[in-house]
This record gives sequence, C-alpha cells and structure tokens, in this order.
Amino acid sequence: MTLLNRDPNSPVVWNGELPVTNRYTYGLAGEKFFRTLKDEERILGTHCPHCDQTYVPASIFCERCLAKLDDWVDVGTSGEVNTFTFLHVNLDGSLREKPEIIAFVRFGDGGLIHRLGEINPDQVQIGIMVQAVFKPASDRIGSILDIDYFKPV
Amino acid sequence: MTANIREFPGTSINEQDFDDGKILYNFDKLNGIYAWDTGIGIGSYLASLKNGVLLGSHCKTCRKVVVPPRTICEWCFRPMNEFVPLKDTGIVNTFSLCYVTWDVQRIKDPEIPAVIDIDGASPMHGIMHMLGDVDPQNVKIGMRVQAVWKPANERQGSINDILYFKPIEEK
Repeated sequence: MTLLNRDPNSPVVWNGELPVTNRYTYGLAGEKFFRTLKDEERILGTHCPHCDQTYVPASIFCERCLAKLDDWVDVGTSGEVNTFTFLHVNLDGSLREKPEIIAFVRFGDGGLIHRLGEINPDQVQIGIMVQAVFKPASDRIGSILDIDYFKPV
Repeated sequence: MTANIREFPGTSINEQDFDDGKILYNFDKLNGIYAWDTGIGIGSYLASLKNGVLLGSHCKTCRKVVVPPRTICEWCFRPMNEFVPLKDTGIVNTFSLCYVTWDVQRIKDPEIPAVIDIDGASPMHGIMHMLGDVDPQNVKIGMRVQAVWKPANERQGSINDILYFKPIEEK
C-alpha cells in the first residue's frame, strides 16, 4: 500500500498569521516636513544651491552632489498636475461607483502623489493647477494624509 | 567591538519620545495571513494528534520509521508503505534552555525546547517540542520523557495538542 489518500479527518490547510508590524520614523528631513505640514499647513522643500534643485518632499542630502542641505524653502500649497490616473477598483477588489483620481502634483523639482477632489473626472488634465485641502487641525497626525486632497485652483 | 564606541553617529530616539509625541511615525501591520496545504503526510499526522496518537510512516525497503510521517522515503525515494502509530514516549536527543522568548522578552524560568527521539521510530528520529514539569538543571540528554496531552475535547489537530513532554518517573 502506498500513501496516496488523505485522511478524511485531516485538515486541508494549516491556517496561520505572521505577526509583522513596523514603525517607520521619517528621519531628520521627514520629521521637519511632516511637522510643518501638520502644524503650519505648509509644504517644505530643501534647495541645493550647487545643483539648483529643490527637493520636495524635503531631503537632508542632495542626491546629485551628496551635499548636506539646510536651505529650507516653502513651496506653497498649490502645484501643477504632472500626471494622473483614475482608479475604478478598491483595494479589496470591489468596483467603485466614482473613480478615485490619483495625481502627481509638482512642487519645486519634485512633487507629491495624492488624490484629487472637488473635480469632475473629465475636467482633469495634465497641466491644471491644484491646491491642497487640509484636514481639520484636530484630525492631523503628521502624515501625508493630513492633506485631505488637492482641488482645482 | 561596539563596547569601545562611546557615541554612535545618528540621532538616537527612545520609546518615551514616541509616547510623548516628540517623534512622528507611521505604524503599519502587514497582512501576514497564510494557509499552508498540509498534504497527505502532515495532514494525517495532525488528524491523529487530535486522537492523541503520534503518527509515523514506514519504508519496508529501508526499514525506516520516520516521524512526522512522509509519503516518500528520503533514502530510497520510493513511496512509503504504511502509517504506523507510535508511542508518546521518547528520549531527549538534544535540548536548550531559553531565557529569551521569541519576541525578545527576558524570562526567569527558561523555556526548554528539545528534540525528542520518539519510541517506535528509527534511532535518531524525533520531533521538536517543549519539556515541562522538570527542573531545568535536571534536564539531561538521554532522559526518558512522555507527552502530556491536552484534554481530548480541547485538541484541534495541532502539534500544540501535546502541551509538553515531562520526564518519566523511574521506579
């Protein structure tokens, strides 16, 4: 006899869960960037005078010349839509009634990826100016989601 | 080596800084849910654990009994011939006294994981489990131990249906 048949009482699968958690701190530049976003509703970048680059979100080092950056600049809260996409499906796979609009909004020489709101999907174009809409101060936790969405200027 | 370094570069933070809100951070819990197909061998092993039996499998060609049961012999690569119920007693093959838990908590009374050669299986064939009901200082390689099972109605077809192995009282 060979062992080809599964014991009818045997469990088909073994179910388990790996306890994987993490706590990410934003680093020196990220700490200042998010702290300012949370407390002052301002978006900060850092400027490298040598390369004439403005990094948004702020970075502590220039990624071109590796110099340490301490020239902090306020880049305002409105930027240009550089590219966008419509999401018709939720994370769990279910269909959305209205698409979520995700855009890359340019600030300085960098930019932020965020959602667009208060806008009709067929009005979204590359090149339109959008402005950050912040959550109420009490709801902000120091995250990029402290900006609720970007709306057309 | 690190003992000679007075001050490490970088910015040090501690748990208190998180509690005080001095440091912004993002906490995330990844989805670590999995389902692992037990297959014929381990499936039968788990089913028989529920009935309070340790199951092995036998290869007639190699005259080997392995535990947990496998469907293919590791020596001759032929299909194994039969399942064999084994005793729940055995001999401590090796053990460790662990004063640190899996999630890095210090404990005073050590956990004692051990490899136990199960009676009825071929020599040097056993399973890994915990020892209990024993003074850590008295654990010896070669010690005879017996499984302490959960009550039958609490067993769920898991290796944890055996709570631990405890030494057999020599008479």
